[in-house]
Amino acid sequence: MNEFIEQFLLESRELIEQATDDLLTLEGRPDDKERLDSAFRAFHTLKGAAGIVEFAAMGRALHAAEDVLAEVRAGAEPVTPELISDGLACLDQVVRWLDAMQEGGETPPGADAAADALVRRFNARSKKAVAPSEGGAWSEALAARHPDIRATLAIRYRPDSGAFFRGEDPLAILLQTPGLSGLEIEEPETWPPLGDLDPFVCRLSFLALASCGLDEARSALKAVTNQVEIASLHPAQAAAFGVPATARALMEAQLRLLGVANAEGIAGRKAAAARVAANVMRSLGKSSDADRLERASASGDAGAVAAAIRSILAADAIEGPAEDARTVDVAPAEAAARTLRVDVERIDALVNLTGELLVAKNALGHAAVLAQGGGEAAALAGLLKDQHGVLERLVDQLQRSVLNIRLLPMRYVFQRFPRLVREMVVSLGKPAHLATEGEDTEADKAIVEGLFEPILHVLRNALDHGVETTSVRTAANKPASATITLRAARRADHVVVEIEDDGAGIDLERVRTVAANRGIASADALGAMADEELIDLIFAPGFSTAAQVTSLSGRGVGMDAVRASVDRLGGRVAVESRPGQGALVRFTLPFAVMMTRVLTVEAGGQLFGVPLDGVLETVRVSRADISAIGAARAFVHRARTLPLIDLAEALGEGRRSPLKAQADVVIAVAGGQVGGLEVDRLGERLDVILKPMGGLLAGMPGLSGTTLLGDGRVLIVLDLHEFLQ
Amino acid sequence: MTVMLAEPGIIMLSGICPADDAEVLLRLLLGDADAIVDWCECESAHTAVVQVLIAARRAVKGPPRPGILAAMVEPELKGR
Repeated sequence: MNEFIEQFLLESRELIEQATDDLLTLEGRPDDKERLDSAFRAFHTLKGAAGIVEFAAMGRALHAAEDVLAEVRAGAEPVTPELISDGLACLDQVVRWLDAMQEGGETPPGADAAADALVRRFNARSKKAVAPSEGGAWSEALAARHPDIRATLAIRYRPDSGAFFRGEDPLAILLQTPGLSGLEIEEPETWPPLGDLDPFVCRLSFLALASCGLDEARSALKAVTNQVEIASLHPAQAAAFGVPATARALMEAQLRLLGVANAEGIAGRKAAAARVAANVMRSLGKSSDADRLERASASGDAGAVAAAIRSILAADAIEGPAEDARTVDVAPAEAAARTLRVDVERIDALVNLTGELLVAKNALGHAAVLAQGGGEAAALAGLLKDQHGVLERLVDQLQRSVLNIRLLPMRYVFQRFPRLVREMVVSLGKPAHLATEGEDTEADKAIVEGLFEPILHVLRNALDHGVETTSVRTAANKPASATITLRAARRADHVVVEIEDDGAGIDLERVRTVAANRGIASADALGAMADEELIDLIFAPGFSTAAQVTSLSGRGVGMDAVRASVDRLGGRVAVESRPGQGALVRFTLPFAVMMTRVLTVEAGGQLFGVPLDGVLETVRVSRADISAIGAARAFVHRARTLPLIDLAEALGEGRRSPLKAQADVVIAVAGGQVGGLEVDRLGERLDVILKPMGGLLAGMPGLSGTTLLGDGRVLIVLDLHEFLQ
Repeated sequence: MTVMLAEPGIIMLSGICPADDAEVLLRLLLGDADAIVDWCECESAHTAVVQVLIAARRAVKGPPRPGILAAMVEPELKGR
């Protein structure tokens, strides 16, 4: 992809985030001038960016949005939820275009139709937008002067005197209107003497006829809206301008061609009719319709083509895209951003470190020379020890600096939720708002990016199941609008993200019933469970307490997906519930993913690393306490029966006869499963930077990565999930 | 130059005349009260240039090169 486009995508996404944030704040505080200005600037800058990459459709859509915002700024229009929705819909569309560009590297095809729809939407709302004035005397007179021209619109364009100064070329602008004819140039009644004429003050005005749709004319003259009047000459005809008369006739002719009952040569007829119809649509700039016709021709029979033509003729076929623009695409693959914006200070810190490392390297060279020259061993040892100390400090700093580069504030993911919550609230009809805290909390890029999906699931669940309806809330003496708090905080080596709602809390009885009904646990087991264990069941695969499947949750993607996502990030999920007061879901995540603390263990004569996050404790178990259950083995630990897995055997070595009377066991947890891993020997704790498995070993189950040990050996780090599932 | 005094009494407009040409054209017109304007080689002209032509009411030799200027603007100018 060209660098230019890459930069454009990067900046546009930032601007969209800014604009979304501003719009959402504006909705709550319509009088916030600063936010309004900021939103306006964001739209304006986005429009400019679209111009730079010559993405005209995007420019047009944003220009229309900008106009409406300008009216709001001027006090001509109030901030309404509809206006915010339109603004957000426009941004959504832009995001879709950007996604398409990211994939294809080019401005997406079919953008024009979507842009038209947006422009129409904004024009409909814009009070000052060129409204077709009915039967103005000037327009009738103009049409009368050109009886030979069949036009739908009359245009009067009176550039203000500063037009040339602003770089506008009124004639050129006017002549862009499709189907323009009958141009008349009006001059002032008197001109100053030629010697006094300022050539850069515009004194002309223009009249013209046009045969095109009102929207097309409006968008062509968008840049000079306030200086233009457009009058419909034949209002009915102009309104039905989705497909102009000649095009309509051509399309109908294709229908007749297809309508012949004789099946002979129908395939050829179909292809020809579709081609002609597609060309007609393309000539009108409606490439999406053209594509539709071609698809119908390629995949369907003559009937499909005929149906497509009919529906284009029947509908003002370009209406479609604006409606889709309302639905929120949560899916867009959540492709992790491949570029990282880094504070210059962090780079500077690296540069400084590089300098210090060079000094340390030179000092080592000096020590090496001394050693070669047969220097005194004790002095050399001292020198080397010092150098090692310096290097250790520097490497430690370097490691921290590099990890810092990957740090992103939670804001990066949090800022997307107010928008989504707003959409969910609208579709559920339960008033709620989202409060965020600790957006500045930083965590590794992979963590922050990976949090979007699980947080979204939890928010959906909170809104869908946790938050009560308004009437229930009022009866319970709670504020009608629910509050969902999304907060992040740093706790030592961990980042904690909490999603708390003030809803009804988790209905334990219901959990019990559902778990029993779905066979997640037996009735006896359920009866014996403590409350916390019961709550934990909501993470069980296949569990969903939704009484009815809504569009938001209950689509089979339950809280088990949340646990899986958070597990993948190396974190843990916990739930707290206070009946009647709300629920809190807490993710505890590692601060950095690159650094892993491992416990080394020996099994089958080889050294392995076990991620310390998954290690609960290490114990010695007497052989006598290990009982065989079928082919497997188990032992009782802290009143729980745990499966015991022989690591060497699990890794493909045969089980050897036990040498020791006691087994060294690592009690580990992964994905909610607890089990014991029998190892030959326990080693030490290490901080390592994991290299993911590559080449032939990529995708090998049970291994999560490798690292080099100080003595040059390779340490393979195990993926506990594989062993415990 | 897209606007110049081609020979005494004839001011030539050629190619694509930008807004700045309006000032040059005006100066040339003021310098020779009898000069006519020849825009046979002109492809398009900024509105400011067209405005000077209209205000000056000089004889204009055309038509300009085929294009919107010739199709739309020239007939308008001729009618005056």
